[in-house]
Amino acid sequence: MDYKYIEQLLERYWECQTTLEEEAILRTFFRQEDVPASLLPYRQLFIEEDEMAEEHLSKNFQNKMLRLVGEEVPVQVCKARKVTFMRRCRPFYRAAGLIAILLTIGNAAHQSFTDDEAQEPQMAENIPIDSLHQITIGQPEQQSAELTSQPIDTLDVFPR
Amino acid sequence: MENISFRTTVLPLSDRLYRLALRITMNRAEAEDVVQDTLLKVWEHRNEWEQINNLEAFAIATCRNRALDIVKRAGRKTENLDEMAHFSSQTPQEQLEANEQISLVRRLMDELPEVQRTIMLLRDIEGKTYQEIAEMLDINDTQVKVYLHRARTKIKVKLKNGL
Repeated sequence: MDYKYIEQLLERYWECQTTLEEEAILRTFFRQEDVPASLLPYRQLFIEEDEMAEEHLSKNFQNKMLRLVGEEVPVQVCKARKVTFMRRCRPFYRAAGLIAILLTIGNAAHQSFTDDEAQEPQMAENIPIDSLHQITIGQPEQQSAELTSQPIDTLDVFPR
Repeated sequence: MENISFRTTVLPLSDRLYRLALRITMNRAEAEDVVQDTLLKVWEHRNEWEQINNLEAFAIATCRNRALDIVKRAGRKTENLDEMAHFSSQTPQEQLEANEQISLVRRLMDELPEVQRTIMLLRDIEGKTYQEIAEMLDINDTQVKVYLHRARTKIKVKLKNGL
């Protein structure tokens, strides 16, 4: 690659004969990594000048100056978001929904428990008569015979 | 005439003033103080803003004079910014590497006489024309070129000879 143009520009730069635009061309050229060995010693000059141009004061300094001269300091504004009534009530809906689910589950569990208890008398009716004989062990045989002849729902199973 | 305000016209100059003050005082805290004093001075002259031909040139001149006053009053030679880095939190190895990589030209620039250094800063970093620099420093265009030529030649020779 021919670097004659850059070399000429650089010579004019040292002699203070370049315009600001030509100096910008030199700066752009030296920003690239691929610089020929003959021009390499001067690369650092342009790179560091670029870095020096980045030195700046903090944002706080500007705010401090504005306060010192009595000007209003810009406040970082948070954009307000419009929240509808329905959206605002959403947490309550969620809580109510959760409570409803818990109540439903609780009721279902309770119902199933009470159903089990309600089935017990019916089960008692289905007890075979023979097993009742075992319950009445210790009673006279005759009495036992009488018992078996009675309808099941009139039996007094447990002695008072 | 365009509408001049502190916020839109004067305050945006602060970074440029800071870089100038920093290259003269070689001290970041002092440079910040210089910029503050300069901006307050410009603010005091707010009734004359319409009459001042070039407000930026006025601010740059005020800043430079203030920075030179501070250095003179302290009775010290402008200290190299890289020497100040020794007091930073970096380890000596980190300092060495950082110095080798980024401070070669800064060191050379900081060794220049103040007027040459200021002109080189205004031209090469701030991108000012010879006329603008002449107005800021209250000298003529030819003098600007002479000082700049001397500064660039010194840097060129040192870079060519590997410092």
